[in-house]
Amino acid sequence: MESSSIVSMIDVEQRFGSFTALSGFSLELGEGEFFSLLGPSGCGKTTALRIIAGFLEPTSGQVLIDGRSMEGIPANKRPTNMVFQNYAIFPHLDVGDNVAYGLRRRGGADSQIAARVSEALEMVELGGLERRRSSELSGGQRQRVALARALILKPRVLLLDEPLSALDKRLREQMQLELRGLQRNLGVTFVMVTHDQHEAMAMSDRIGVMFGGRLVQVDAPSVLYARPRNSEVASFIGGMNLLAARIEATSGERITVGTQCLPQMEIGRNPNAVTAGRDILVGIRPEHVRIGAAAPEGCDAAVRGEVIDVAFHGESVRYRVRVDGAREPFAVSAPSHTGAARLECGEMAWLGFESDSVVELGDADGQDWQIQRGGNR
Amino acid sequence: MRLPGGLAAYAALYLAFLYAPAMFLPLFSFSDGTIVAFPITGWTLEWYRQLGGQETMLRALANSLAVGAISALLSTSMGVLAARALVRSRFPGSRAAEGLIMLPLVIPGVIVASSMLVLFVSIGLKPSLAAVVLGHAFLALPFSVAIMKSSFEGFDASLEEAAVDLGSTPFETFRRVTLPIAAPGIVASLLVTFTVSFDEFVLAFFLSGSQPTLPVYIWSQIRFPAKLPNTLALGTLLLLASVLLLALAEYFRRRSTGADGS
Repeated sequence: MESSSIVSMIDVEQRFGSFTALSGFSLELGEGEFFSLLGPSGCGKTTALRIIAGFLEPTSGQVLIDGRSMEGIPANKRPTNMVFQNYAIFPHLDVGDNVAYGLRRRGGADSQIAARVSEALEMVELGGLERRRSSELSGGQRQRVALARALILKPRVLLLDEPLSALDKRLREQMQLELRGLQRNLGVTFVMVTHDQHEAMAMSDRIGVMFGGRLVQVDAPSVLYARPRNSEVASFIGGMNLLAARIEATSGERITVGTQCLPQMEIGRNPNAVTAGRDILVGIRPEHVRIGAAAPEGCDAAVRGEVIDVAFHGESVRYRVRVDGAREPFAVSAPSHTGAARLECGEMAWLGFESDSVVELGDADGQDWQIQRGGNR
Repeated sequence: MRLPGGLAAYAALYLAFLYAPAMFLPLFSFSDGTIVAFPITGWTLEWYRQLGGQETMLRALANSLAVGAISALLSTSMGVLAARALVRSRFPGSRAAEGLIMLPLVIPGVIVASSMLVLFVSIGLKPSLAAVVLGHAFLALPFSVAIMKSSFEGFDASLEEAAVDLGSTPFETFRRVTLPIAAPGIVASLLVTFTVSFDEFVLAFFLSGSQPTLPVYIWSQIRFPAKLPNTLALGTLLLLASVLLLALAEYFRRRSTGADGS
């Protein structure tokens, strides 16, 4: 397993005094992969990145890069390079000298270095700006310089610490595409830390979702979205209606659940291997709930409720609908292009559910705040 | 905001009280009378011209320049390291260490001077310029640490990490990134610590033995009324040099704290 991985982290733990920043952290990163560590601030994602870079020596556990143990190997001897959150462009050097910094200390003819620098600047679309002073760069240009400065050393792994958070929204979206394109062309493994789920989803091959120093789920964006492991992941990635439910019966991979507001439903998949009689949470995405003035056809369950909130979001209309028996109103997102009449506040509406879009989210014996907010029992 | 008239007058008086005495020094240094008193009967540059030929004075000046330069180098190099540790690292006792470093600012000079004299003599270091250098380095260290701290505080720690990430050893990082970026602060610190030493009297008086520094020389000349105009001229030059050095230091200090154009 280790031999096919570029980076292996095995049961890594990082403590700072009595504070545990990272525990039981195991991860395998493949060659040429764009991997994101996603989580709220303080979840340990930057700590994990800094352990790979060599700025932190883990309290316990192993880090392998290219199958080689990184124990005792400092950051300056590792085949990794980093793009820092604020880009860390050297203010006393111009653009060319910034990009050449790592190459110069490796030695080599000046003309060769100059050629590689100009090639690297072309790659990030800053060709010809070698002599530009670093104080004259815009935010986006600083990021490109930081990228060129790191990539020119041909790292096995490029580490990016919240690389887009300092940019404004439009530039951020453009850079998402460019970064992804750059990574595909170079085939270098990228590990990006971000707290922005949209950014992680749009750019990554796989995402590792972290909470409280633990890696909770590692999956492709589409899997993460469709099958979140628990309510924490579900609520962090997109919206999710959470319902307290009881398992009435199990049959192989399928379980039959009952909730206070919906008829009994048989739903697929049981990732947490819950057993009959247990109280669990189930979730359904707002865009998977069908809404209409008349009872929807072809649904596995339907229920009536009162529209208490309508908001137009361009591509979609978002409703909140109060249903008897449910602690919280349902969030519903309907595409706005279908031509269906928009429902108004105070109207009664039908909500339709398909059992396949209802996901099981594990034990309700709440270990976290989302579950309490979701209102079980 | 405009000051009410009463307060503006108070501020003007206050500044006059602070600086008027110092202004008399240059004023009388150009007077052709040998007695410091009004009215001034005529103007002359004679006293300045005479300074050029005074051997002992020139030797004292050379002493002061040497002591100032060496103690500035000593206190600034210690200050750079201490300030970097205080700003970048959390270590047990860092607050106490900082307090102790800053202490010379508030200990009475006579106390420091007499205890240093006792200490130096007991370890066999006779009063000499070397003893003055050590004393001045101690006295100037808090200035250096304060300046370098503000310099390092305006200096993003990730710049050093970036250098390490790009392959530099810690020492290379210090030489190729930390020092160049902190350079304006270092120049400011050298200028201020030099000025502190150049103007210092009490320690130099206790520790200089038979090799007076310029302030000690001036003090020794004040006893001779005939030499007073020369002393005034010398004092004026000293004042001017100090103000220039400190203004220059402030210029560099501002450059260092606002270093990065971001």
